[in-house]
Amino acid sequence: MGREFYLELAAGGLRMPIGTDLVMHEESDPEKVRNDGPALAQVIERAARRWASPLAVPLMDLRLEKIDLLRLAGIPEAEAESYHFTSPLSEAMLAKLCGEQTEPLCAGSRARDEALACIGTHQDLVPVGMAIGPFSLTTRLMADPITVAALAGSGVEPGDSEDVRLLWQCLRISEAAVLRSVRSQIQHGAKAIMICEPAACTAFISPRQLKAGSNLFERLVMEPNLRLKAALEEAGCDLIFHDCGELIDSMVEAFAHRLHPVMLSLGCSRKLWEDARLVPADVVLYGNLPSKSFYSDGAMPVEEVVRLTEELVSKMKACDHPYIVGSECDVLFVPGAQDAIRKKVQAMMVEAVAC
Amino acid sequence: MARSEELYSAILDGNAKKAHAATEVAIAAGVLPLDLISESMVPAMDEVGRLFEAEEYFVPELLLAGRAMRSALELLRPLMVASGEKLSTRVVIGTVKGDLHDIGKNIVGSMLEGSGFEVIDLGTDVSPEKFVAAVAERKPQIVCMSALLTVTMPAMKTTIDALETAGLRTHVKVLIGGAPVTMQYAKEIGADGYSESASGAVGLVRNLLGAA
Repeated sequence: MGREFYLELAAGGLRMPIGTDLVMHEESDPEKVRNDGPALAQVIERAARRWASPLAVPLMDLRLEKIDLLRLAGIPEAEAESYHFTSPLSEAMLAKLCGEQTEPLCAGSRARDEALACIGTHQDLVPVGMAIGPFSLTTRLMADPITVAALAGSGVEPGDSEDVRLLWQCLRISEAAVLRSVRSQIQHGAKAIMICEPAACTAFISPRQLKAGSNLFERLVMEPNLRLKAALEEAGCDLIFHDCGELIDSMVEAFAHRLHPVMLSLGCSRKLWEDARLVPADVVLYGNLPSKSFYSDGAMPVEEVVRLTEELVSKMKACDHPYIVGSECDVLFVPGAQDAIRKKVQAMMVEAVAC
Repeated sequence: MARSEELYSAILDGNAKKAHAATEVAIAAGVLPLDLISESMVPAMDEVGRLFEAEEYFVPELLLAGRAMRSALELLRPLMVASGEKLSTRVVIGTVKGDLHDIGKNIVGSMLEGSGFEVIDLGTDVSPEKFVAAVAERKPQIVCMSALLTVTMPAMKTTIDALETAGLRTHVKVLIGGAPVTMQYAKEIGADGYSESASGAVGLVRNLLGAA
């Protein structure tokens, strides 16, 4: 679509949550929709139209790439979510996991791709793809990724520790898996892809180690994402980068300047009007109302959502940086709390329009 | 003198090999395991918690410190069993059913262990039945439940209800935590406490035990 498109959306005052999961749960059998391409496309379309957004954003289902990767290793889908590699992989297995997707994609990935193709038939909607980032996928392949990353950050080499060796292997196979997913989505019509790297944050990568000279953030996060960005660019697909984790300024700067996404979506721990100084003027900031708390009227009353929205809008206007008001992450359906959540999403949208 | 500066420093630096070696030296010098825990390990983990609160340490440092502490505890446990020494308080901890996230749970578990509590980690995706069975069999004073997802939080209430149904609710104090969890939610579901940080959880456990 090109960068101008997103800047125009921001200038036009677009507001939208990442809310497809919420809409999907209005269906009588949401889990069936999740794996049914045309039905999923209808839900994605309805979500986009409900919030008057041309961006048709799919489910933020960050399990799919892991499931598809593990299928190549012979791990059944039912075991995928809790499966972790426990020892370094053989060269043969590494080559297999870094190669082509020789096994069929899982039902969720197929539905995601089919939905993209369906959305592509609507001239007024932009089919947006979704994938977990390489580092975040890596963290899902190991039982204790933080400790192992911290060991690597303290200078432990793959030759000194099997765990550290596995970490770098998992990063390689994760990058390959994400690339396969992204290519498949582009083939099915994705014009932009949201790469979600919530693990690229201070919980997984220590700012103390970075300050001491560790290049861990560069090697674990930036290098694979820069290669991913290059692949997207080559295919003419826009990068929307999402990271709702706790970040330090240098991480935000690296994402904004070096990955240079069309949109940068951040979590509510950041103040977007302060981050504007870290972000080039042609990168639209997206977010970052605290949607993870929307389920609770006690912790996050509607009035507070209204106040936070007003504050965000007024301060973003004051700093004159392009922005789109939205949620800090996927607005997930919570059983029993759906009305509270919808009320706050609505408050965010109505208030934003009023502004 | 039971304090081992080497062990204290090794835990603070998150150096498991040094912690292991320092513990061996202390044991050889005749320091009693419980004294080593109370005078070197607990103060070290308290300092780790303080540095975390001060944003000088981050989650990776907490976990490395916990790993160093466990490498020392591995040496001490057999000695404690042999001598009949026991840690005073038992904590059962787990991530609730449907939730596979374990970072917060692991950090709290490490901090509690480092603070001298016996920690029984039930892992992730722990059903209410499994929590109930652990309380019935292991007789902890504290149950800690973690959830990262808004969609799995209701399992905290289900677990508390299951403890009630099993007649075990009054036997334990129940603490909850996790990114989407709030004090308000803790009150709503009848938990005894909530903490937004790992070091806060340690303080909360101590307070609850003091009040028990």
